[in-house]
Amino acid sequence: MGRLTRRTFLQSSAAVAGAAAFSAVPAIGQAKPRVVVIGGGAGGTTAAKYIARDSKGAIDVTLVEPLKRYQTCFHSNLYLGGYRSYDSITHGYEKLTSAYGVKMNHQWASAIDRDKKQVVLADGSRLSYDRLVVSPGIALKYDSVPGWGKEHEVAMPHAWLPGEQTQILKKRLDAVPDGGVIVMIAPPNPFRCPPGPYERVSMMAHALKAAGKSKSKIIVIDPKENFSKQGLFQEGWEKYYKGMVEWLGPKVHDGLKSVDPKTNTVVTGFETYKAALVNVIPAQTAGTIAIDAKLTNAGGFCPIDAASMKSTVDPNIYVLGDASIAGDMPKSGFSANSQAKVAALMIRGELIKAETFPARYANTCWSLIETDDAVKVGGRYEAKDGKIAATETFVSKTGESADLRKATQAENMGWYAGISADMFG
Amino acid sequence: MGAGIAWKRRSGRASKPVTVMYCMGSGLGFVLGSVSAAQADNKALGQFLASECTTCHQLSGESTGGIPPITGWPKSQFIAVLRSYRAKERDNEVMQTIAGRLSDDEIAALAAFFEDLGKK
Repeated sequence: MGRLTRRTFLQSSAAVAGAAAFSAVPAIGQAKPRVVVIGGGAGGTTAAKYIARDSKGAIDVTLVEPLKRYQTCFHSNLYLGGYRSYDSITHGYEKLTSAYGVKMNHQWASAIDRDKKQVVLADGSRLSYDRLVVSPGIALKYDSVPGWGKEHEVAMPHAWLPGEQTQILKKRLDAVPDGGVIVMIAPPNPFRCPPGPYERVSMMAHALKAAGKSKSKIIVIDPKENFSKQGLFQEGWEKYYKGMVEWLGPKVHDGLKSVDPKTNTVVTGFETYKAALVNVIPAQTAGTIAIDAKLTNAGGFCPIDAASMKSTVDPNIYVLGDASIAGDMPKSGFSANSQAKVAALMIRGELIKAETFPARYANTCWSLIETDDAVKVGGRYEAKDGKIAATETFVSKTGESADLRKATQAENMGWYAGISADMFG
Repeated sequence: MGAGIAWKRRSGRASKPVTVMYCMGSGLGFVLGSVSAAQADNKALGQFLASECTTCHQLSGESTGGIPPITGWPKSQFIAVLRSYRAKERDNEVMQTIAGRLSDDEIAALAAFFEDLGKK
């Protein structure tokens, strides 16, 4: 009771000191404060919705996203595996406007003019902001795999950005003959969705097996010594896809030397593979716009204040999701959604003096291995010693009961419906 | 502390029945009290904390797959269930982790927020 009473007192004090406090608030009294959000993924969409909804019209919110129909990266592996339709991972932004008053601008944001506090759009027009939310996701480093580049992303799809690439990979996967070899080039850290490549391996193996193509093989060329939920995935591959999956760490493959998109060949220090399908998941950085605006560090991602998600480079900018350096939090849709709520609160605090509370973050990543067999990893996080630090984590265990794994998959499906409603509903 | 109160979970809410024992501590005292200023203050806290729940649980009260609806529960039940997760008596790791950092006041704020939501 004591704490609440004190907070109530502080709130009253703030009201009395209102005139003085408001002098520090930009644009109040003249026009609504303006927030521009770049990127309509899990971070940006959530931030736009929460700022608009919870400010009840007191903040002007514009979401800049070129796509009118957006496919989530999360559960795109389930589409590959045949568990979800493409439509079911496709969403529109209509309700953000009709229910919460978010202004949609379906253009590519080409630059940030930090001095003028403006976003430059593809058509040359500009949007002014008091606060900017940068949530552009990742950019692929097309020069990180020898022999491969943007011009080869149809021949050797990455499917690591949402949309058409996922459909290309699905089509190619379904065309792999029985006995055909799929090579996945796994990415180095840090990258979007740490368990994602390995859930994808599971879903590709499931699709092959379901199509009666159990003589096919998936070879993973990984630059990392280990990967997320490794024991769980490897247990599942052994149990369900025996002989179909071969994961090779750097000590075994001795480095990726080159790929040849013309012949679907992959050369490592260990062996040359002639594949029916090569899935190249290259190294990654923050989205290009964040790099161009100099919001990134030497590692290619954006440093942020752990207590708010505010850029440490520019006090008028917040960076969310995969583009940010979020300490112990993985680059996931769940993380971005969680970070967006902290940023939305802090932005409302700055612009309209909404009451704020200490940042708290959470994440869970579910991965499907085979029908009714899913695993999860997650945790909760707080700002600690200048970074976002895990305060408690959990991960599924090997040898869990079939009932528990089935319940975990039901949770996975429920989460997808939940986060979709949280973003777009 | 006062006499323990046993709460029986209503059917259809979660994966398995559980009986939760807890004392008449300050958290429950607060919930049952009628401190309107504190409650108004609590609303902003409840709204922020609830945003953590809505990554999985739908505000509309709709439910899909293995994520149960959490709107419209009586406060006492909501508090009992979250305390049970916090004490790791109930066994979902996601919920244990989320509830693990919630204070009694925060659980009460959440309970009030989601109970109110069910009335709308």
